Parts: sequence; structure tokens; C-alpha cells
Amino acid sequence: MTASSASLAIATSGLTKRYRTNTALDGVSLAVPAGSIYGFLGPNGAGKTTTIRILLGFIRATSGQATIFGHDAWSDGVSARRDVGYLVGPDALYPDMTGAALLDHAAGLSGASPVLRTLLLDALELGPEALRRRLSTYSKGMRQKVALISAMQHDPALLILDEPSDGLDPLIQRNFEEVLRASNRRGNTVFMSSHDLPEVERVCEQVAIVRGGKLLAEESIADLARIHRRQATVLFNGPVPERLGGAPGIRVLSTSGPRAELEIDGEIGPLLTLLAGLDVADLLLPPPRLEDIFMGFYGSEPRA
Amino acid sequence: MNALHRMTGRALLRWLPALAGLLILIFMFEIVQAPVIEAVGGAEGLSAIMERIPPALRAFARTRPEFMAMTSIAGYLSLGFIHPLYLILATSASIGFAARTLAGEMDRGTIQIALSRPVSRGSVYLSRVIGVAVISLLVALAGPAGMLAGWAAVRPSGEIPVAHFMPLAVNTFALCWAAGGIALLGAAWAAQAGRVLGWGLAIFILMYFVDYFASIWAMLRPFQPLSLFNWFDPGAILVTGAWPWLDIAVLLIVGFVATLGGYVVFRDRDLP
Repeated sequence: MTASSASLAIATSGLTKRYRTNTALDGVSLAVPAGSIYGFLGPNGAGKTTTIRILLGFIRATSGQATIFGHDAWSDGVSARRDVGYLVGPDALYPDMTGAALLDHAAGLSGASPVLRTLLLDALELGPEALRRRLSTYSKGMRQKVALISAMQHDPALLILDEPSDGLDPLIQRNFEEVLRASNRRGNTVFMSSHDLPEVERVCEQVAIVRGGKLLAEESIADLARIHRRQATVLFNGPVPERLGGAPGIRVLSTSGPRAELEIDGEIGPLLTLLAGLDVADLLLPPPRLEDIFMGFYGSEPRA
Repeated sequence: MNALHRMTGRALLRWLPALAGLLILIFMFEIVQAPVIEAVGGAEGLSAIMERIPPALRAFARTRPEFMAMTSIAGYLSLGFIHPLYLILATSASIGFAARTLAGEMDRGTIQIALSRPVSRGSVYLSRVIGVAVISLLVALAGPAGMLAGWAAVRPSGEIPVAHFMPLAVNTFALCWAAGGIALLGAAWAAQAGRVLGWGLAIFILMYFVDYFASIWAMLRPFQPLSLFNWFDPGAILVTGAWPWLDIAVLLIVGFVATLGGYVVFRDRDLP
């Protein structure tokens, strides 16, 4: 283990997974800093779950390397998973176990005391009566809560969460996000994949976007917002000037009287320069949404 | 080690209802043997019945009238341990356990609960191997226990060779261990409980019939050693009380090699 690899909670290099006729992951290199909250985004089949399964040693990479705190995820898997909490799918719990028995079983396998169990039970609103029942009687949302508590109860240094808020109602989802932030404040790393882009935007500092098994981007959300596509509304004191559409990186989506809806690729500097010479009454420039950025990537070709 | 205990306990606990049912069935099957012998007129009555059975069906029982006449009550008792129903019950316990707790857990994803933690695949696999060994031991004891209980209840004429049940139990353990080892290898490979159960039972039934037909059809004799049942001879054990060391060794080695092969497959495979 090198000093640099130890400062990364997760590092992958040229990670590739091929099945017979299908390449699920194609040379993905990630660097997840220790102590960060990191979002891993992509549509179904993009390679998110494959990456997570390689990290946990469930499957072996065809080529490339994956490490957790400097330990190889496959050849040194037990050390790699020493301080990891992983959210198993809600259907991958023993249906004949009670919630309490499953949490005890999971804590015993982790070899660490479940110091956060009470706090998590309160935050996710899972009562003692429910814990006494068999998991086969639980709804999907309740099983998701038990799976979350099982992953987090021993306060692991790295949390790997695949679709963590799936099945949670909005109120519980907010509580859960606060739990993640609190964990991060204690110095823990969170690596989460999610389809819920607003949630990722609220929680994560850094994201990676994958498509078709390839990495499209790995940047902080602030940098993504700064350099990627966003929308603006400009209100002129008169009709919309014709030269507006000719500026590089600026596309007119629609016009209506003095109002123009614009799409801007990258920095907003060129737009401000352009508007400085025009008779502008108002400019609405909402902060870019991760969803717009994400959709922007899906209109482009994958980066090699 | 704590994790290993937990996983073994958990796997056995999940299998407990099915195992308890199988053990009760084996116990009940053997407990009725002594009353049946008593009901048909003891050794003489059974010998007369055997005389009338066609040779092919005698082969099915893997015995002969002259053997029965010579061996008296011990020979008759051994029929309870070579009956196909007993053999299916005995081997299906370890096959079912291996299928459900290894292939079944891979299939359902529950194995991720252990493997996402600092637990090696070797530990997970070893917990299942220990489970197969425990189940094989219980099955090996259930049959003799049932037969002795039936004997104590009815007390038919003749002497029961109690000490001879010890090598029989060890040979039965070795048979179940070998079956369990092969099932573990299949479970590590296939990762679908239903498939392992189906193929496992089909292979063991095939082995039974290879062993059965080989005793009446010379062409099959070269294949007889490939059947696990070739290495299981309760008749000879109960009559002579001799320890069948070769049979036990072959079955233990088959079980060990299959178990080791299963470990290598499970260690290196991708989870479904």
C-alpha cells in the first residue's frame, strides 16, 4: 500500500469487465478521496453495479485494478472490506430472520460493535415492534431500512451504497441524507450510486458519470456546474436581437417577444460579454441542475 | 473464527426444519424394520419370501437367499440400509443442504451479507463443509438409532449385533460425506439450488442403478466402482462386524477431493 493509495478510499485503474459478448466496464479509472461523499451516476446498464461488485470482490475484473484503502479488492479482499459497509439489496436478506436477528448477524460478521444502531433506528423510524417481526412480513421500504442499518450500524470508514434511497419516503430520505452527512463529518467516505439526481446534488461533493461502461466525467459538482450546459432567460427592452444566436456556445431554445430562452455550454463569460453590448432588461440565470448536466452528457459521445 | 461459527450456525439453523424432517423419516423407516421382521415370521419367513423373488429383484435388494439363510437376522436387518428409500433420504439431506445454503444463497444474493464483510470465501465455504459433515454424522446415527429403538420395542427372536452398527454408521457417514462433497462442488459451480438438487439426485439415482444392474449385467461391472454405492455394503458390515476400511477410505477421499474442487470453483468464480 502506497501513501497516495491510502489517501484514496477507492481507486480503480483501467477497470474492465467483459462477459462473453458484452463489455460491461471498459477501462474505468476512479479516484475517490478518503473523507468525501462521492456520487456514481449513470443509467441502467452503464456499469455502476458492475464497478461496485468488483470493489466488493463479488466478481473479478477482466483487467485493471480496484483498491479500497490501498488493498486490492480481489486478492486482498478481506483487508479491503475490513472497514466497509455495503448496502445489500432489499431482496437479498434472509426472509426467515427477524429484523433484530439480521442486524445482530451482520454486526457479528463485521466484527465491530453496532454503535450507531439506535441512532439509525430513530432516524429511519424503524421501531422495536418491527424488529421483532420476520423480514418476510416487511414491505420493500422496511427491508431497505434494515439493509441500510445493517450497512451503517458499525460506523464504517467507507460506505458503498447502491441506490440507497430506493423505497424510502421523502421524509425518511431527508433523515437518511442527514445521517450520511453526519457520517462524513466524522471522516467517513460515502460512495453512492443513485438514479435520484437531486439527492446526489444535495449530498455529494464529487461525482463520476458513466455510460456504456466508460467513464464520461469525474469532477466536483461545482466544477461540473461551472463548465457544463445550463439554461438562462434574458428579457430585452425590445425584440430579441438576431445576433444572439450566432455566439459560440450559446443556443437559442425559444423566443417570445422580448424574451429569449438560452442554453449555454460551459462558462458564462461569453454570454455576459455578449449581453453587455445589448439592451438587456433582466437576466435569469438559475444554478445549473445536475439533471441538466447529466442529460448533457448523454447527448455526447463517451470519452475514450 | 467467530464469523465461521455464526455462518455455520446460521446455515444449519435455516436447514433445521428440513433436516429434522429427514432425520425423523430415516428414524421411522428403520424403526419399523424389526416389527416387519417379526410380523412376517422372523428369519425363516423372510427367507421363504426371498426364495420366491425373481433374481433381478433380488439384485435390487443386493442379496441372495443363501446369504439370508447364512446370515440370519443381521442379514435381514441390513436390508433396511440398502433400501432405495433409505439411501435417497440419507443422501438427499447433505445434497439439499449444499444446494440450498451455497447455490441457493448465491442465487438469492443472501451470501452477499457475509461476503461484503471482512469474511473470506474460504470461511463461507468452510462453514458449509462443516454443515455437510454435521448433517452426515446425524444421518449416519439416525438409521442405527431407529433400528435399535425398533428392536428394543419388539424384541424379535435372535441376537442383534449392536457393535456392528458402529462400522455401519461410519460407512454411512462416509457415503453422505461423499454425496455432500459432490453436491458442494455442483453448488459452487451451478449457483442455482434447484439445478443442483435436480442434477444431484439424478446422478445419485443413476449411481444406484449402475450399482444395481452391475450385479446382474456383467457389461456394467467395469463401471460399478464409479458408483458411490459400490463402496457401501451394510450387509457385510452387519453380518461380520468387520470395518470396511477400503470402502470408508474411498468415500472419504471422494468427498474430500470433491469438496476441495468445490472450494477452488467457489473461490475463483463470479457471484451471479
